[in-house]
Amino acid sequence: MVDPLRMPLEIDLFEGPFDLLLTLVLREEIELAELPLVEVVEAALGRDESPWDPATTGELVLVLAAMVELKSTRMVGEDDADEEPDLDAAEARERLAAQLIAYAPFPRVAAWLAERAATTEGPRYRRVPLGAAPAPPATPESSAPLAAAMAAVVSARPVPSLTHFGQRRLSMPELLIRLRTALNRGRAVSFDSLVRNAGRVEEAMTLLAALELARRGEVRLDQQTLFGDIAIHPCTAS
Amino acid sequence: MLARQVEALLFLAGDPLSVVALCEITEGSPGDVQRALAEVAARHDADSGLEVAEIAGGHTLRTHADLSEVCDRLRARPPEDRLSPAALETLAVVAYLEPISRPEVGRLRGVSVDSTMASLIDRGLIEEAGRAPDGGAMRFRTTRAFQQRFGLRDAGDLPPLEQFDLTGPEADAVRRRLAEAGLLAESPGSTDD
Repeated sequence: MVDPLRMPLEIDLFEGPFDLLLTLVLREEIELAELPLVEVVEAALGRDESPWDPATTGELVLVLAAMVELKSTRMVGEDDADEEPDLDAAEARERLAAQLIAYAPFPRVAAWLAERAATTEGPRYRRVPLGAAPAPPATPESSAPLAAAMAAVVSARPVPSLTHFGQRRLSMPELLIRLRTALNRGRAVSFDSLVRNAGRVEEAMTLLAALELARRGEVRLDQQTLFGDIAIHPCTAS
Repeated sequence: MLARQVEALLFLAGDPLSVVALCEITEGSPGDVQRALAEVAARHDADSGLEVAEIAGGHTLRTHADLSEVCDRLRARPPEDRLSPAALETLAVVAYLEPISRPEVGRLRGVSVDSTMASLIDRGLIEEAGRAPDGGAMRFRTTRAFQQRFGLRDAGDLPPLEQFDLTGPEADAVRRRLAEAGLLAESPGSTDD
């Protein structure tokens, strides 16, 4: 395991092991404010060695975090250092310590598992699959249901729908002519009487035709009550 | 007679056979099957090429460890499937605390374990173990493949977790290192050893 404190560092301001750098910083022989921590991180990460285990990485992060805290404390002044310790922070740190101690067994278990896997890799196991059991004999079944099902598929052809042939096709010009014809007598026409035998589409289109004539100034629409009948008055008659 | 049957079944079976399975197949009593297993095991001593091993919830016939080299000449060894330290730690957490959910493992480890857990599932070392009766996240447990890989007799065949606990001085050392890093107030109870 790599000890991060013994790790050699090579940066502009310092060259040597990490713990010496820490000592010099604590003795204030190296001004922490002038030490670019990013260079320390880059120097640590730039080492061409085997990947670190989580414990080493964690320790390094811990040390770097402490340096950041120290640096920020010195940068903002040390007045705060004499203040009463923050109880919440102290409690959180104590929790962190407790969590680290509680988790500590699992990396050890992991090491035990790795060791166990190494010691138990010698034996070889039979990996030849058992021959497949013979397929159960097919139960005799009548072919009639299958024939009926197939016949339905083969013989039943879909009948093309012709329903659209019987549908009346409405057009707006046709409806406009019809409305004008109804209004030719010069009297008002009831909308309800116009659409008495019409379908919903035709009713809607008739209303649109009436609105179109009203827009053109040929008729005037009059609805006395909400949802009531609409009287269509020819404008020429008025 | 029963020992010969048991030996034949262990030879044929691809997976370890439990005593219950052997009882069902041979129609023998558990006591007789146990005695037959002991007889077969005694027959395959160090001079034999095979040994009877109790593993992953059953018994199996496997080659002796010292014959691995010659065995691998017959059959290509499967490619090495090394587990990363993170995967081993996650596996350790699941093995001791199963059934346990992914978020619970993540909280304990202090990092996201989504990809590690997915990798362990892909390798067949852990599997889903259902949700808690009151709902919540899916929980996971180790598999028979895990027991086989690590030579365990069954899911509970692990040393007590307390065996891996930090001792008092070791815990104090952790606290001291945290304090040295400025992350923890000096504990008055900590010893300087």
